[in-house]
Amino acid sequence: MFPDDLKYTREHEWIRLTDSTARVGITAYAQEALGDIVFVSLPDVGTEVSAGDSFGEVESTKSVSELYAPAGGAVAARNEALTGAPELVNADPYGDGWLVEITVADASGLDGLLSADEYAEHVKEH
Amino acid sequence: MADLRRSPLYDRHVDLGAKLAGFGGWEMPIEYAGRGVLAEHQAVRGAVGVFDVSHLGKAEVAGPGAADFVNACLTNDLGRIAPGQAQYTLCCDDNGGVVDDLIVYLFSADRVLLVPNAANNAEVVARLAAAAPPEITVTDRHTAYGVLAVQGPAAPELVAALGLPTDGAYMSYAEADWKGHPVIVCRSGYTGERGYELLPAWDDSPALWDALLAAGEPLGVSPAGLGARDTLRTEMGYPLHGQDLSPSISPVQARSGWAVGWAKERFWGRDALLAEREAGAARLLWGLRSTSRAIPRPHMAVTSAAGEPLGEVTSGTFSPTLREGIGLALLARGVAEGDTVNVDVRGRPSPMTVVRPPFVPSSPR
Repeated sequence: MFPDDLKYTREHEWIRLTDSTARVGITAYAQEALGDIVFVSLPDVGTEVSAGDSFGEVESTKSVSELYAPAGGAVAARNEALTGAPELVNADPYGDGWLVEITVADASGLDGLLSADEYAEHVKEH
Repeated sequence: MADLRRSPLYDRHVDLGAKLAGFGGWEMPIEYAGRGVLAEHQAVRGAVGVFDVSHLGKAEVAGPGAADFVNACLTNDLGRIAPGQAQYTLCCDDNGGVVDDLIVYLFSADRVLLVPNAANNAEVVARLAAAAPPEITVTDRHTAYGVLAVQGPAAPELVAALGLPTDGAYMSYAEADWKGHPVIVCRSGYTGERGYELLPAWDDSPALWDALLAAGEPLGVSPAGLGARDTLRTEMGYPLHGQDLSPSISPVQARSGWAVGWAKERFWGRDALLAEREAGAARLLWGLRSTSRAIPRPHMAVTSAAGEPLGEVTSGTFSPTLREGIGLALLARGVAEGDTVNVDVRGRPSPMTVVRPPFVPSSPR
């Protein structure tokens, strides 16, 4: 449920770090808790975000969840497929349902990220 | 917090992997594993869905003149229906606020069954009991019956497959027999589709639920949770008590005046409601249709294009049928159909069109 090669936040995002690019999505646990996702709001490419900033929203039939940047930097890409098919976040949260890529300028926040095991523990406590 | 009460189908919901949540003091299914709100909603619009709404209240009023007594308390006019029919009505307070909206089953002049909302059952029972003359008894029968709602174009076929009667008129009911067990079968619902609400004895509910899901398999049946129930009723513009109707929202404001017997000499809240109707409501319930991707949610503020406050959203969701945000909002007098208003969606003014529900065609009859 939580791939070992990813890092996780306590706010239920996953991060795949490749060189200085962080691809960000929400976890299988998060999409399951939200239910059918019907709208994803993401920042424009080029937007500067600081670690911990709210940078978007994932909305289901019943509720809204804010997205928090796990690292500071500029938005390098966003998953345009989600405009027409937000359900990809439910169907494939670690693959086709990714949200944004950030070119990391400030890596300090990355040290506090959780491993898959740590995140699984974190989820269990809730 | 008090423990949540459980429906007779609780184990069934757990077995189906339902996401459970507290609703009106009851632990009820919101959606089912492998399905979800959108799939359950589409099953009801396109085939048939079965809802467990056993959390709904039940109360019996019995004794000589029981129907006349209820008619002198609740808003709608029981004189409009005959035994064998049910009626949507309101329990108001003296100020015209809505304590609850409920269904009355008229068994006879001396006996009626009430189906209030789960959270309001005790309050409705208490108000009626306090007003009842000694020869009339008001009894809380919350766990006497389960309630299964069978809703969708294939609902008649599914209910008929169980040997239950399906040919009654809208809002009529039959006291039927299913394998030697009594079941009340009412042509009613809260989805805008053709459908039935079945009231078996509480303990008979699991067997009836199993039979409906088994017989419905070739029809594309889906169990449906309270999440889909909310998107379905919002598409119809049906008010939900606690959001679109409440002690601070009168039936005149909520456009529920059709459920008030205005010509009756007595019902709770009569003077206040007549006065409000005469003066014209200061605010009215409208539909909102989002013209962007924004989804209205309860309590969001609504302003005019010029920025004046108009009111607030009372219900809002994503319409699975229209694939856009829809809602209900109480808006100041002067707002008109077709107006564009702004809803404050977490700080973003989001344009929405004022419309008259239903949002999608309704075919409950």
